[in-house]
Amino acid sequence: MTVTRALDGRLIVRFAGGLTIRLADVVALSGLSLAILLAAAASLTVGSTPVGMADAIAVLWHGPDASDLSFAVWDVRLPRILMGILVGASVALTGAMLQSLAQNPLADPGLLGLSQGSMTALLVIFVFLPGLPQGWLPLAALAGGLAVGVLLVILVGRANAGGMAILLMGIAVETSLSSVTSILLLYTPPEVSLALADWMAGSMFRASWQSLATFTPWFALGVPAILFLGRALRSYDLGDQMAMSLGENLSFSKPVILVTAVLLTSAAVSAVGPLAFLGVMAPHLANFISPASGRARLLLSAAVGALLVVCADMLTRGLAGELPLPTGLAIVMLGVPMFITTLRLRSARRMRGQ
Amino acid sequence: MNGRRYPAMAGILAIAIIAFIANLSFGASAMSPRSVVTALFAFDPDNYDHFVVFYQRLPRALIAVFLGAVMACGGAVLQGLTRNPLASPGILGVSSGAMLFVVIAAFLLDVPSQGQGLAAILGGFFGFLSCLLVTRLIVSSKEPHGLAFILSGAVLSMLHGAIANTIMLSSPSRRSDFLSWATGNINHVYVDRLRDFWWLGALGLVMLLAMARPLTLITLGRDKAASAGVDVTRITWLSIGAVVVSVSVAVAICGPIGFVGLVTPHIVRPLVGASFRLALPANAVLGAAICLLADLAARSAFAPHVLNTGIMMDLLGGIVFALIVKRYYLSASERGAWR
Repeated sequence: MTVTRALDGRLIVRFAGGLTIRLADVVALSGLSLAILLAAAASLTVGSTPVGMADAIAVLWHGPDASDLSFAVWDVRLPRILMGILVGASVALTGAMLQSLAQNPLADPGLLGLSQGSMTALLVIFVFLPGLPQGWLPLAALAGGLAVGVLLVILVGRANAGGMAILLMGIAVETSLSSVTSILLLYTPPEVSLALADWMAGSMFRASWQSLATFTPWFALGVPAILFLGRALRSYDLGDQMAMSLGENLSFSKPVILVTAVLLTSAAVSAVGPLAFLGVMAPHLANFISPASGRARLLLSAAVGALLVVCADMLTRGLAGELPLPTGLAIVMLGVPMFITTLRLRSARRMRGQ
Repeated sequence: MNGRRYPAMAGILAIAIIAFIANLSFGASAMSPRSVVTALFAFDPDNYDHFVVFYQRLPRALIAVFLGAVMACGGAVLQGLTRNPLASPGILGVSSGAMLFVVIAAFLLDVPSQGQGLAAILGGFFGFLSCLLVTRLIVSSKEPHGLAFILSGAVLSMLHGAIANTIMLSSPSRRSDFLSWATGNINHVYVDRLRDFWWLGALGLVMLLAMARPLTLITLGRDKAASAGVDVTRITWLSIGAVVVSVSVAVAICGPIGFVGLVTPHIVRPLVGASFRLALPANAVLGAAICLLADLAARSAFAPHVLNTGIMMDLLGGIVFALIVKRYYLSASERGAWR
C-alpha cells in the first residue's frame, strides 16, 4: 500500500492488486467502517432483553453460554447484525453497479423487478418443490432474477429510451409478478404463508447463523468478483462508445457483470427478502458523502448500504414491542424521499448541462 | 368510425349484462342464470339460493359495478386531461392517498365508518396534489411525455402503502379486519358503505358527463379549447375534483383496486372514439364489466382458494401497463426522444 500524488494533485492510495483509491475516499471508507462498527455495537444492546454495552461486549468476549443474555446477543442479535451488514452491502453494490452499466442513476434491483423475480422463483420452489435443500435457494432466486432481467432487455430492446421508461417497465413487471406471488401464496400451508409474508416484506426477523452460513459463500464469491470486474467501471461511466474506444470488450464484460450483480441480490433476497430502494439510496448517499468514481464508488456505496440496514434493523428491533415493523418497510419510508431527491438533483444537473 | 360506434356501445352493454349475470351465477354453488333472474325479480326469502344471490352476491356485484364505472371514467378523464396514456387514478396517487387517509382515520383517530369516507376524499386530494407537487419538483422544465408524472405517482403510491402498512401493524387486532381491504378486495360486508356513499360517485359521474363537450375539446388541445370558449382551468379542476371524489369513495368501499382505470379507456377509445359524450358511458359500462369478470375470476379461478380482486386486477394491469409503456414510449418512432 503506497500513497502517491496523482496528476491532478490529489493524493491517491495504491493497494495490492492494482486497486487505487483517492486518499479522501479511503478516509471516508474508514469513517463509514467505524460508523458501521459503532452502529453494530449499539445494535447489540437494543431489543426486548435490555443489555448494557459493557455486558454485551463481555458476552461476546467470553463466547456463548446458556444464559438469556448470551442467547439474546449470540443467537438473535449478532446474526441479524452480520446479515444486515452483508445484505446491505450486497444490495447497495448491485445498485451502484447497475447504475453504471445502464447509465441510469435510478436503476435499483428492487424497482426494476429483479428482486420480485427472485421472490417469485422462490415461491414456485416452496409450492412445487418444498423438499429442496436451503443451499439451492439462491440459485433458484438467481434464475428468477435473471429471467426478469432478460424479459426487461427483450421488452426495452435496444431502444435507449432512457431512465424513466425502463423504470416504469420494471414497475409494471414487478406489479404483475407480485400478484403471481400472492396467487402462489394461496397454495402454501397457513403457517408457511405467515412466515413468508414476513420475509416478503423484507425482514431480518428470521436471520440466523444458518441463513448467514447459506448467504456468506455467495457474498464471498460475488463481491470480489464484482470489484474485479468493476476495474473498468470508470470507462463505463463515460458511455458505451467511449468505453469501447478505450478498449473495453462490452459484449463480454457487460453480461458477466450483470449476472454477477443479479446473483448477489438474488442471494440477498433469498436470505432476507427484497429491500427496495436501497440500491438507489445507498449510492446516492455515498455520492453525497464523497463523490467518487469507479470501484471507490462501489465500496463507498456498499459501506453506506450496510450502515443503513444495520440502523434500520436496530430501529425496527427497538420498536418491535409496539410495532413489528419489517426492515424493508422502514427502508421504503426512508428510500422514497431520497429517491425523489435523486430525481430532483438529476433534473437540476440536466438543466445546468443544457 | 361513426357507423361503428353504436354497435360497439351495444356490444359493450351486452358484455356487461352477461358479466353481471355470470357474476351472480357462479360461486361456491353454481346456479342457472334463470334462477338468478327470478331471485332478482321475484325474491323468495325462504329459498336458500335466492338468499345467497340477494344478500351475498348482489352486494358484491353492485360494488364491482360502482368501482368499475367510477375508476374507468376517472381513468378516461385523467388520460384525456394529461394527454398521457398511462394516467389513471390508481397510478397518480389518488387511490393510495385515499387508502392512507382511511387507515389514519380508522387506526389513529378512531373515526367511525361514515367519517372514513370523508377521510378517503381528503386523502384522494392529498394523493393527487402530492403527486403534482413531486412532479413539479423533479422536472423543472416542461417534459413532453409525462413520464415524470407517472413515476412520481408510482413511487408515492409505494410510500403511501408503506406508511399505511406501518400504521396497520401498530394494532394487530384491527389489522386483520383491514388487511384484505388494503390490498383491494370486493367484500359484501362493506355494502353499507356503498349505501352511504354511492350518491357521491354518481354525482361525480353526472358532473363529468355534463362537462363532456368541454372535456373533449380540452383533450384536443388546451389552446383550441380556449379559443372555442371553454374556461380551461375551471373545467380541468372541476373534472379532477369529480374524479378524485368518486374514486376516493370507491376506495373507501373496496380498497385500492387500480388498473381498471388504466385499462378500460384503452379498449374503449378505438371502439367508440375520443368524444367523451359517448366514451364516458362506454367506459363506465365496460369498466363495470371488467370488474365483474375480475371479481368472478378472483373468486372461482383458484377454487377452493379465494383471491382478492385487487390482486387479480394487478396481474392484468401490470401486463397492460407494460404493453402501453412499450407501445408509447419504446416504439421505434419514440426511440431516444426523451431521457
